[in-house]
Amino acid sequence: MAERRDISIQVPVLARVEGEGALELRIRQGVIEDLKLRIFEPPRMFEKLLEGREYSEVPDMVARICGICPVAYQLSAVQAIESLFGVEPGPWVRAMRRVLYCGEWIQSHSLHLHMLAAPDFFGCASVVELARTHADEVRRGLRLQALGNDIIRLFGARSVHPVGVRVGGFHRAPAAADVHALREQLRAALPEAEALVRWTASFELPADEQEFTSVALRHPGEYPMYQGRLVSDAGVDVSIDRFEEHFTERQVAHSTALHCLHRGRPYLVGPLARLNLNCDRLPGPVRAVLDSTGMRLPCRNMHYSVVARAVEIYFAVHEAWRLLAAYTEPDSPSGEVPIRAGTGFGCTEAPRGTLWHRYDIAADGGIARARIVPPTSQNQARIEADLRQSLQAYGLDRPEAALRQRGEQVIRNYDPCISCATHFLDLRVVRS
Amino acid sequence: MDGRLHIIGVGSPFGDDRLGWVAVEMLQRSATPAASGGGSVAFAVLDRPGALLLAHWRDADRVIMIDAVRSGAPPGTRHRLQPGAWAATEPVSSHGFGLAAALELARALDALPPHLVLHGVEIDPSNAGFSLSEPVRRALPDLVREIEREARVLAAPGVC
Repeated sequence: MAERRDISIQVPVLARVEGEGALELRIRQGVIEDLKLRIFEPPRMFEKLLEGREYSEVPDMVARICGICPVAYQLSAVQAIESLFGVEPGPWVRAMRRVLYCGEWIQSHSLHLHMLAAPDFFGCASVVELARTHADEVRRGLRLQALGNDIIRLFGARSVHPVGVRVGGFHRAPAAADVHALREQLRAALPEAEALVRWTASFELPADEQEFTSVALRHPGEYPMYQGRLVSDAGVDVSIDRFEEHFTERQVAHSTALHCLHRGRPYLVGPLARLNLNCDRLPGPVRAVLDSTGMRLPCRNMHYSVVARAVEIYFAVHEAWRLLAAYTEPDSPSGEVPIRAGTGFGCTEAPRGTLWHRYDIAADGGIARARIVPPTSQNQARIEADLRQSLQAYGLDRPEAALRQRGEQVIRNYDPCISCATHFLDLRVVRS
Repeated sequence: MDGRLHIIGVGSPFGDDRLGWVAVEMLQRSATPAASGGGSVAFAVLDRPGALLLAHWRDADRVIMIDAVRSGAPPGTRHRLQPGAWAATEPVSSHGFGLAAALELARALDALPPHLVLHGVEIDPSNAGFSLSEPVRRALPDLVREIEREARVLAAPGVC
């Protein structure tokens, strides 16, 4: 029998994740005694910054929360404000917002899959090392990432912190000629995205089945992205305004990001959760490629999130290509916005998972209170639970370097965006 | 290859990291056909492009990059670096995937432009806000003049 060790592993700065976090692991007598995903990135206080600002400023402000998924923040925000104001922007705006969101999924997923996650599956320390043996696949990943950026730029004027979205629609509509050129790029990318799915399905993925609850949006006819009801495989099916009844955030001392729980337990959001709950909403060609990989759904192995991410890239390329088929420039890219006081809710599927917003708005259109629940804070408790199980199953007697590498790989499966998730810790002053 | 000289300023809105953007603005203002030796120059300013820098190098055989540099030298010190010396000097980027990583990736993918040079200025990392520090501001005119001299040669048709 292997010797049981007392060891303490500290990964002071997690590599290949967005933002700054750390992992602490203490093992005693062959059992994990303590495990913490520390998030020490400074709190952002965005919700507080929004208070007192005009509703129309919100889309551009929340875009600054994340350089990787600004569109998700913009679209959850405008959805919340428009639902309160009773604005229905119409089919053109709805379709084009979905195209814009496709751009962000393609960009963010491609970045994560190739630059951050893929090296894990080939024993490489970085994408540079991976590029030496898999140059064609890395080049393809860069092309897909650039395509995602091109879509965001077309609607948002720039790919980082785009500025095209407004309450009521868009500031401007892209020219038909530019859209047609982009659609050609999308058509050319379809076989590349399909090949990407097959490539990820060929990875040697560790066997590590775990029990967890998946949570995602679900829409009557679409793979979820921009709209839907909140559902889980634990039986929840509620409208997004009831999020707070089923999901609670709590503070933990070791993280500036809140931990969000579903009925008191960790849960999963993101590509694998979406696929688990919505694979019947994939268009035929995407579903056919997924089926041909042999991936069984629902899937309880988080290492398959790399395949789920590739499937969603293929889906997003296909969806944007489909939605732009009959593109025409509208008379106006936005509609009237009557201001109404009250509370509005927005919920969309960011690349990393469900992103929920709530705004209390005053009669003058000012933001009285904002609440933003990003996907990484929802996944954080699940990441810790996964680490406990997967490292125990992996074998705690392995060398520290191997445990560290596996721990990082498990965390990267969730594509955590730590910068998005950091909130302000309450300050308690006790005076006597 | 599109036959043009590409001058790319990399940075962010913050403090001295703006340097690449400001330098490109100055170069654009003074750019005339004569100043570029009759050749064609393409200017770009990029906000922390990460690995997608490679997409901007794709059609280029001659590239001048301008970025903030942090090597321990006094703020305002000018640097001119060829790719070989580049990685070791740790060019600054506020994103995880910086210029040095982009260079390494391009090299692994055999996607380095034949002529690539980095012009940089040592920055003051403590300079917060949205403007340049005084040492960097003072270094800019000489930096721009040096790049203009180099551009006149590189942009001339047929030069590589």
